[in-house]
Amino acid sequence: MRSLLQKLALGTASVALSAGMASAACEPNYEGVKLTYITQTGPYIASAIVTAAESWSAQTCGTVEVVEYPWSELYPKFVTSLTTSAANFDGMAFPPAWAPDFTSFLSEMPAAMRQGPDWEDIHPTYRDRLMVWNGKVLSQTMDGDLHALTYRIDLFEDPKEMADFKAKYGYDLAPPKDWKEYLEIAEFFTRPDDNLWGTAEAYRRGGQQFWFFFSHAASYTNHPDHPGAMFFDPDTMDAQINNPGWVRALEEYVESSKFAPPGSLNFSFGEVNAAVSGGQVAMSIGWGDTGVISADPKQSKIAGNVGSDVLPGSTDIWNATTNEWSNYDEIVRSPFMAFGGWQAAVPEFSSNKEASWHFIQHLTSPAISGKAAVTGGTGVNPYRFSHANNKELWADLFTPREAEEYLAAQVNSLDAKNVALDMRLPAYFSYTEILEIELSKALAGDVSAKEALDTVAAEWNSLTDELGRDSQLAAYRSAMGL
Amino acid sequence: MIVLAMAIFPLIYSLSISFMHYRLIPPMPPRFNGLDNYAKILGQARFWSVIYTTSVIVIFSVFLQYVIGFAVATALNAKIRGSSVFRVLLLMPMLIAPVAVALIARMILNPVIGPLDQFLTMFGFPDLPFLSNKNWAMGSLIAVEVWQWTPFVILLMLAGLQTLPRDVYEAATLENASKWRQFWDITFPMLLPISVAIIFIRIIESFKIMDTVFVMTGGGPGIATETLTLFAYQEGFKKFNLGYTSALSFLFLIFIIVIGVIFLAIVKPYVEKRS
Repeated sequence: MRSLLQKLALGTASVALSAGMASAACEPNYEGVKLTYITQTGPYIASAIVTAAESWSAQTCGTVEVVEYPWSELYPKFVTSLTTSAANFDGMAFPPAWAPDFTSFLSEMPAAMRQGPDWEDIHPTYRDRLMVWNGKVLSQTMDGDLHALTYRIDLFEDPKEMADFKAKYGYDLAPPKDWKEYLEIAEFFTRPDDNLWGTAEAYRRGGQQFWFFFSHAASYTNHPDHPGAMFFDPDTMDAQINNPGWVRALEEYVESSKFAPPGSLNFSFGEVNAAVSGGQVAMSIGWGDTGVISADPKQSKIAGNVGSDVLPGSTDIWNATTNEWSNYDEIVRSPFMAFGGWQAAVPEFSSNKEASWHFIQHLTSPAISGKAAVTGGTGVNPYRFSHANNKELWADLFTPREAEEYLAAQVNSLDAKNVALDMRLPAYFSYTEILEIELSKALAGDVSAKEALDTVAAEWNSLTDELGRDSQLAAYRSAMGL
Repeated sequence: MIVLAMAIFPLIYSLSISFMHYRLIPPMPPRFNGLDNYAKILGQARFWSVIYTTSVIVIFSVFLQYVIGFAVATALNAKIRGSSVFRVLLLMPMLIAPVAVALIARMILNPVIGPLDQFLTMFGFPDLPFLSNKNWAMGSLIAVEVWQWTPFVILLMLAGLQTLPRDVYEAATLENASKWRQFWDITFPMLLPISVAIIFIRIIESFKIMDTVFVMTGGGPGIATETLTLFAYQEGFKKFNLGYTSALSFLFLIFIIVIGVIFLAIVKPYVEKRS
C-alpha cells in the first residue's frame, strides 16, 4: 500500500512537473488560443504571416490559422464581415488605403506596444502617419511600400551606350533625375529588334495602374508649401485631379507606354516584374519587389546588375492655391508612398485581442520582419530603420552595390522632405474606379489627358457630394495628417 | 411553400433595395429613393456601353459555337475512326473552370512571351495586341468563349443527331438526294427544336460572362470589354453601392427576358414551319 502511494505521489509530481515545464516553455502562455488571420492569397504577405505564425506558436503555444482570399475578394470579405458583425477572425492584413472604411471596427494598439526600441525602430512615415487614424494607432505596418526606380546597371554603365546617349541628348546617361530624362532614356533604349524596351509600368485597369500614374503626378502636384493638397483641396474637398500638374503627369504617363513592351496596356505589376527580371526593359518604376525579384538569379536574367534610385522629380510643381506653377532651382523629389504597404490590425470584436496584438508584435519584430524583408516572395519591403541599417541582412540577396542602392532608394524616399502620401478616403474604390476607367481611355488614345481628368474631377466631386462632403473632408484631412 | 418562399424572398428583398439609396461603404442608412437608381443607370453611357459589349460577345460567340458545334457533331456522328476519342477530347474544354481557361488564354495571348505570338512572329506578325487593343480584346474574348463552350453544343447536337431515324435518310438516298439536300431538308429541320433550345441556353449563359473577362482584360482597355456582370460586380462588391447594384441586376434580368422573348418570337414560325 505504501509502495502504491509512493508511486502515485511520484506520478502526480512528475505530471505536475512536466505541466509546469510546458507552461514555462510558453512565454507568454497562449496554450489553447487559436487565432484566425485573414489576408490575400499568398505567397505575397500571406507567406510572411504563415512563417511568423510558426515561430509564434513555438514561443507561446498558441496557434494561428491564416485564411487567404484572392486579392479581388479580400476587400469585400472584410467589408461584409466587419459591417454585418458576421466576422470570425482575430486579425487582418490590409492596405492602408482601405483603412478609412475599417477604422470604426478596429481595436487600438496596446500602449505597451507603442513604446521602446522596437517602436522607435519603425520609420516615422509609417509609424506616425499610416498607422494612425484620428489620433489613434489602429494598425501596425507589416510591409513598407513605396515606388522607386529600378534600372539595369549593365546598360546604364556600358561605355558605348553612355557615349551614344550623350551624343544624342547632350547629357550623361544616369538614373533619371526628372521625368523628362526618364522619357528620353526610355526612348533611347527602345529597340524592338533587340527585344529591348525603355521602361515598364502597370497600365492595366485593375492592375495597380493608378498608383503608377500617381507616382508621376506626385512630382507635379505635391506642393511643399501646401501639404495634403495633392488630391483634393483640403479646405473645400474639391477635386484637384484635373489641374495642369495632373494633366502634365498623365500626358507623360501615356507617353511612357510608347516605350514599354508590346501589350503593356494589359500590364499589371506582375508583368512589370517579369519584364524587368527578364531583361526586356532598361528601367522601370514600381515597388521594392522589383529589385528583390530581379536580384534573384533563380528568377532573373539581370541579377547582379540591379540598380535602384529614388523616383524622378521636377523643378515645376503646380500650386493649387495660387493656380500657377512654382519653379524651383533644384529638382524637388516627391517620392510617392504608393499603396503604403500592408497593415496588420485586430478587429474590436475579436475575443483574443491581447493574443492577437502579441502575434502582430511578433510578426513585425525587427528579427522576424527583417528576415521576411530579404526573403523573395514574402512581399515584405523595408519599413524599419533596422531593415536598412543591417547590411548583412541583404548580403545573400544583393551584391554590395545593389544592396547599397536598393536600401538608399528606400530610405531616401522615406526621408524625402516632400514625400507624397497615398490617397486614403472612405469609398476609396469608388474614387479609384472612376479614375481607372478614364486612365484606360487616355492610354488607349480615346480621349486626351485633359478630357479624361476633367471627367474624373467632375465625377469625384459628384461622388463626394453623394457621400457627404463634410465627412469626406474630415476623413481626407485626417488621412493627410492635417 | 418553404421552397417557394426561399426562392422568392431574395428577389423581393433585392427588388425592395433597388428602390433605396443604400451604401455599405461608407455606412449610410437606407433611404427610399423611388426610381432614382433605375433612372440613373438608364441615363449612364456606361450602362449602354456594357449592354452593347455584352451583346456583341453573346451574338458572335453563340453563333460561332452553334455553327462549329453543329459541324463537329455531324462529323463525329459519321462514325469516323477514333470518334470516341475525339468526343472525349473535344468535351474537355467545357470541363475546365472558366477562370482557369482565362488564365491559360492570358498566358497564350501574352504579346511578348506567349506561344501564339512566337508562332505568328514566324509568319511576320509579331507583337499583336491581343488584349490591349479594344477590337483585338473583343475578338480574343469571343475566341475563348467559343473554344470553351462549343463542346456543349457538340454534346447536345450529337445526342440529337443520334436520335434521328435512319429510314428517312435511306429513302432520301434512294431518291438520289445529295448530302447537302439531306442535311438542309432533313437533318436541320429535325434538329431545329433542339437547336433553338441550345442557342437559347447559350444566350442566357453567355450574358452572364464574367470570369473570363475579369481575368483576361479586367474589362479594359477602358471599359471596352466590360460586361453586364462585371459592371454589377464592380458596383456591388467594390463600391458596395447596394441599392444601385440591385437596380442594375433587375435591369439585367429585364434585358435578358426581353432578349429571350424576342429570340423565341423570331424562331417560332421557322420551327413550326420546318419541323
